[in-house]
Amino acid sequence: MTISGSIRRVSDTVWEIPASFKPGMRVPARIYGTDKLIHEMDDAVYDQITNVATLPGITNYALCMPDGHFGYGFPIGGVAAMDPESGGVISPGGIGFDINCGMRLLTTNLTQDEIMPHLKQLVDRLYERVPAGVGCTGFVKISKNEFRKIAAEGARWCIREGMGWNEDLELTEESGCVAGADPSKVSERAIDRGYNQIGTLGSGNHYLEIQVARPENVIDPEIARAFGITIPNQVVVMFHCGSRGFGHQIATDYLQVFLKVMQTKYGIRILDRELACAPFDSPEGKDYFAAMKCAINMSFANRQVILHRIREVFSEVLGRPADRLGMHMVYDVAHNTAKSERHDVGGGRMKTLLVHRKGATRAFGPGMEGIPDRYRSVGQPVIIGGSMETGSYLLAGVASGAQTFFSTAHGSGRTMSRTKARKLWQGRQLQRDLEERGVYVRTASWSGLAEEAGGAYKDIDAVVGASERAGISKRVVRFVPIGNVKG
Amino acid sequence: MVRQHAVKTLTPITLITGPLGSGKTTLLRYIVETTDQRIAILMNEFGEIAIDSRVVEGRNIRVAELAGGCVCCSLIGEFEAAVVEMIETVAPELIVVETTGVAEPDALIINLQDSLPQVRLDGVITMADADGMLQFPQLGHITRMQIEAADLILLNKIDLVSTLDLGRVAARLREANDAATILPVERGRIDPELLFGLGRAEAIGRHVRGPRRVVRVHQPEFESIAYETTKLLGRRAFEEFVETLDRGVHRGKGFVRFADGTYLFNFVAGRWELEEFRDEGNTALVFIGEHLRSRENEIVTALKTCER
Repeated sequence: MTISGSIRRVSDTVWEIPASFKPGMRVPARIYGTDKLIHEMDDAVYDQITNVATLPGITNYALCMPDGHFGYGFPIGGVAAMDPESGGVISPGGIGFDINCGMRLLTTNLTQDEIMPHLKQLVDRLYERVPAGVGCTGFVKISKNEFRKIAAEGARWCIREGMGWNEDLELTEESGCVAGADPSKVSERAIDRGYNQIGTLGSGNHYLEIQVARPENVIDPEIARAFGITIPNQVVVMFHCGSRGFGHQIATDYLQVFLKVMQTKYGIRILDRELACAPFDSPEGKDYFAAMKCAINMSFANRQVILHRIREVFSEVLGRPADRLGMHMVYDVAHNTAKSERHDVGGGRMKTLLVHRKGATRAFGPGMEGIPDRYRSVGQPVIIGGSMETGSYLLAGVASGAQTFFSTAHGSGRTMSRTKARKLWQGRQLQRDLEERGVYVRTASWSGLAEEAGGAYKDIDAVVGASERAGISKRVVRFVPIGNVKG
Repeated sequence: MVRQHAVKTLTPITLITGPLGSGKTTLLRYIVETTDQRIAILMNEFGEIAIDSRVVEGRNIRVAELAGGCVCCSLIGEFEAAVVEMIETVAPELIVVETTGVAEPDALIINLQDSLPQVRLDGVITMADADGMLQFPQLGHITRMQIEAADLILLNKIDLVSTLDLGRVAARLREANDAATILPVERGRIDPELLFGLGRAEAIGRHVRGPRRVVRVHQPEFESIAYETTKLLGRRAFEEFVETLDRGVHRGKGFVRFADGTYLFNFVAGRWELEEFRDEGNTALVFIGEHLRSRENEIVTALKTCER
């Protein structure tokens, strides 16, 4: 059956594939995006999101955000809320291998003019001091036992060790430490791969960027002010990284566990083995949840340590302490997680659901619990990383986000494979082109840089625009890059 | 592809991909038990293979010596640096890289070709799980990419499915990749000659004896034919001959002597290359394929027309 005959336009930016499309679908699939974005999506997205709709316990819809593209099992951009009371499952493919991969944004009190004379030195120094690239090891030297503490305590461990400010925790999702992480559920191999990677960006699309909020790009000045964007041409720092080899190993370990028990013990039949899962309430499901939370905490700690490094570098280069440079966090929010949350499943009926967000960002609306007090009235900050050429966004969660269990896009989303991008662009040339356009880039890998060319990504403005029109988040500020360290 | 710049023998690298649970580790264990070559295996976790082995920590790899002369290495640093370290410290005849079940192989292939001039991609072997393909009606997207990248698809766990189902599964694989050789296997048992091209030592030391023939134990339908000559071959004629080889020929390997010197020849499932070789040996080639003996005349005659 072809998809074009089965997809129905629900609104300007919401498309639906009915449950009758494929045997086994328990709910319809809904894909967010403009006509253009929807048609740019590869066929695998339709296939994968309708597969997700067959998973036990899925509630309301299998959802795909406007930046959707194919992934392992679930599409990246996939959101699925599972009801444990109806046999709802937890699936590593619905979370992603880079568990708790996410974005952190901090402000400065500097303007673009003030920073330009120091930009190259800042980027060079950041490149030297924040390890990037495949297999890079971090500057935080700790034992495996100490690492287990980080897995349990997250960013709190860093603050205790003097790497950050107390307010940083308050401005991190889950206050930088999710409860229920149990390092005893994590394999030695995972610890082995992770314990020397605290404080590393990693490779692929992970990066650290110095950006500017131009006055014409401040879309909602009131919310921008609440988020700390107050000066014309204000400089901010945004970075993107996750749980590195640690999260990857945990996901791999539990996929194997789930493949063994899924059918034989729990009688769950799925279409694609990449969707391997177990009931959330089963011993295997609970173990994975507890192990996955270790990767969540490790990732918060990773970003906390990198934040600390960034503050050090700025204050060295600019000769002032970080607090006098106004280097406060705006927020830290992940886009590869599964979390147990209370949601209205229709008609005001509240239920506790396990919400998988893979390449999708939580976007709580105003007044909701779980948002830092200072943002409670305006909604949760959502940080959207664009490609290094096109700019990034700060959004806010909205009340109508209930339709997606308060989830929105996470980035611009690839339009082509890494392989294809490497054939089309050349890293060195790209760096020269970017420099001519006012973006100074340092990279650990030329071919990796080519993979991240702006042309390999969807139009970020279209992605956040569609999210706003669909009512799942609203635009606050658009940032343009001036300096970039690419992993 | 013709390599102009190669001055010393490149180390062949074979990638083994395939979904989680398809039998990659079982295959590796079988290779280690049956090979007489010094193979270095780079894998995510060697605990299952290198039990009780002495482990040496390097800069980018952790190395475990196995009883038969093979070594297992696990990655601690970067992939590229690990491969270089393996070549320098272990000096294996060939390297086998076991990718994780979730890896997209094409990125790894590009890494090899872009950043490792001292290696030659010998082939991509993808494990497919016949039983799993019946249990899960759809090929996962990453699995599909792994199948698409393959030169040789080992259709494993055939003992668990009926002949009829096996045909169905093979047809699905063929749909995703119509160039690769698809080989049904049980518990990863396959004659290593079908897996690998010429090893490094084989190329340097033993080439006077010519490449080895197939050891026919598990895949009796695969037959080899040999061709040797002291005459020079015409390069263009030989290249044209290679382009005519069809799917019936799975592998070709050996040495070809042209007017400008002797080259190493490697062919797998339609993909082939000639690598410059310092030695001045005569042409000695082996071709392996399904029931190839019956085509011996045809192939040898075609090769003779390349002689100068």
